[in-house]
Amino acid sequence: MTRAESNGRSTPAIAGISYVFPERSRTIGELAGDLQLNSSASTMESFGFGKVHVAVAETPYELALAASTRLLEEGGVDRDSIGLLIYGGTPGSMAFAAATDAEDAARGLCTMSRFKYPATRLQYDLGLHNAWPFAVDQLACTTLLAAARIARSLCLTEGIERALCVSSEFFPANAGREAIFNCTSDAACAILIERDGTRNRLVSATNVTKGYYWDVDAMRDEIVASYFPTARHVLLRTIADAGWELGDVDWIIPHNVSARSWEILSSLVRLPRARLFSDNIVRHGHTLAGDNFINYRDALDGGCIQPGQRVVLFSYGFGAHWTGVAVEA
Amino acid sequence: MTSPRRVLVTGASGLVGEGVLRQMLHDDPALDAFALVRNEASWKSVAARLGPVVSRVVPVRGDMTLAGMGLEPTVRQRIERETRLVVHAAADTSFSRSLDHSRFVNTLGTYHVAEVAARCPRLDRFVFVSTAFVAGRSTGTILERDNGCQAGWVNAYEQSKYEAESTVRASGLLWTVVRPSTIVCRGTEGDIPQINAVHRALRIYHRGLAAMIPGARSNPIDVVTSSYVSSAIARIALDARAIHKTVHLCAGSGALTLGELIDTAYEVWAESPDWLKRGVERAMIPDAETYELFERAVMETGDVRLRSVLSSLSHFIPQLALPKVFDTTVAEVLLDSPAPPVSSYWKPMLRRLMASNWGQTAQQVAA
Repeated sequence: MTRAESNGRSTPAIAGISYVFPERSRTIGELAGDLQLNSSASTMESFGFGKVHVAVAETPYELALAASTRLLEEGGVDRDSIGLLIYGGTPGSMAFAAATDAEDAARGLCTMSRFKYPATRLQYDLGLHNAWPFAVDQLACTTLLAAARIARSLCLTEGIERALCVSSEFFPANAGREAIFNCTSDAACAILIERDGTRNRLVSATNVTKGYYWDVDAMRDEIVASYFPTARHVLLRTIADAGWELGDVDWIIPHNVSARSWEILSSLVRLPRARLFSDNIVRHGHTLAGDNFINYRDALDGGCIQPGQRVVLFSYGFGAHWTGVAVEA
Repeated sequence: MTSPRRVLVTGASGLVGEGVLRQMLHDDPALDAFALVRNEASWKSVAARLGPVVSRVVPVRGDMTLAGMGLEPTVRQRIERETRLVVHAAADTSFSRSLDHSRFVNTLGTYHVAEVAARCPRLDRFVFVSTAFVAGRSTGTILERDNGCQAGWVNAYEQSKYEAESTVRASGLLWTVVRPSTIVCRGTEGDIPQINAVHRALRIYHRGLAAMIPGARSNPIDVVTSSYVSSAIARIALDARAIHKTVHLCAGSGALTLGELIDTAYEVWAESPDWLKRGVERAMIPDAETYELFERAVMETGDVRLRSVLSSLSHFIPQLALPKVFDTTVAEVLLDSPAPPVSSYWKPMLRRLMASNWGQTAQQVAA
């Protein structure tokens, strides 16, 4: 029995996950050939990366809409029951531009176009008339985990029945494809949180933000150094907050940063039974939009995660946020 | 033993050599000294610090990396005629040198000093200042003797000093090998005469540029004070019982563990509200394999600054993962007491280090 149950309260749960990658993908070798990586292709391959997905024609908004539509259709969800729509990812007018037009679109943020909000448009396009749309920002790769946490809290405190959280991210054409030794994909991921779920219950959520590292250009080395001890701290706290013992954890669902870094972190945390679902690192690389939930969905579909198993999702957001979420499958 | 008429000290411009010279002149007013001087400017600083006793010191220009220590023939003849005791403390103590360079200075240099000593007909003793870390990668209890070289070494400095010890042992001289541990401060007040690799490593962790230290929390980490080392060598050099003895000048059973050293460091740093505000995570102590995995990952990427940080640590930090306790039985018999426990000066040293911004305010940074 989880702590949430023992308190006699309902436990919000993940009722559905859907994701969309852009049509085009590129191998690590191709990215290196186009000078889109800082490190060599062989280094990135030794870190476990194989290919990434690259949005060319698709806008972040289109990816978000596609992932959300698929989610709602797969689950046959009553759209009127959704009281909350949390959007995360590419901001404002940039969300409506393809990667090649990102710089022009960014200029829109300095005009009245800044009021063109993807969250609002999603509410309309998806027909979510009862949903309160808003966005979470500045959390990088922890955005969707944060959205899930907020949705969980609002389901509990305001009685919201269902919340749709969607994140869509892309790398502008001139930004390269490597972020602190990781190869990045464009993608959108949508999750549905239900107030009273029986499967995939959100048991606890933990975040540590270290504002000292806000200047990511100047503090890059300090961030790399702090990554592992803080990640370990957050993982252990997430498990403790869930009321679990270290030996209770069945799965770690990672963000798709380098396999090497997970090897190091796993060695530092030493969870006796936990397995790491790392299959997607080579297949998709790291998405800012929602690695953890993409991986969770694939692990469920592949039969890896069984009902009742205890799972920890962990991600790091550059800038600098460490977030863990405990889920009982 | 009767006081020697003259002692030849090499490395008198260095931390240990200067300390030994000062202590010996202080302990025995009848003693005079030759000081081998390679760098005139450094010697002038030492001379100023020595004060009035410097009148009993004859600085002689030379270079131990040269045959005959590079001495003028007349000077060399005088040294050979008058010297009763040699304290050979000169060395290049940098951990990051190549093996060729370390051997050139430390091993070949020792050979040249021993060669000159062998020509001193009245010589009573040749004291070689080695390092406890000739033990290299060995673990467990390290005895005060030649323990062989099967385990290998962490850096070229350790290897070159081991080879220098072998040269001394084979010299036919009446030798004593003293092996100080890593010096971290002058005395129990914690003042720092010279910034070294330990202090530089602490600065890296204080700045949050590294957050892992390989080893285990329970590993003993041996450090000492320079005042203990200097006074111990000054006494041992005049003690006939020390002939053909190897002596550990180490904390031994008074060492703190790696966990205790780290915990104390972060406690002291947390006394600064500015540092505390940063939220720098306490360094973890993974096993050596995990640390090497992290080190390799950084080295494989193109990040120059981080690579430089890890590279600077790599000459020193693997030693922390090699648990060893230095036996100090011989030292305690000769000196009647153990070294001061590390707990008596580690925290004061850390406070002084932080207050001086790692020597920046006191211009203590070694060249």
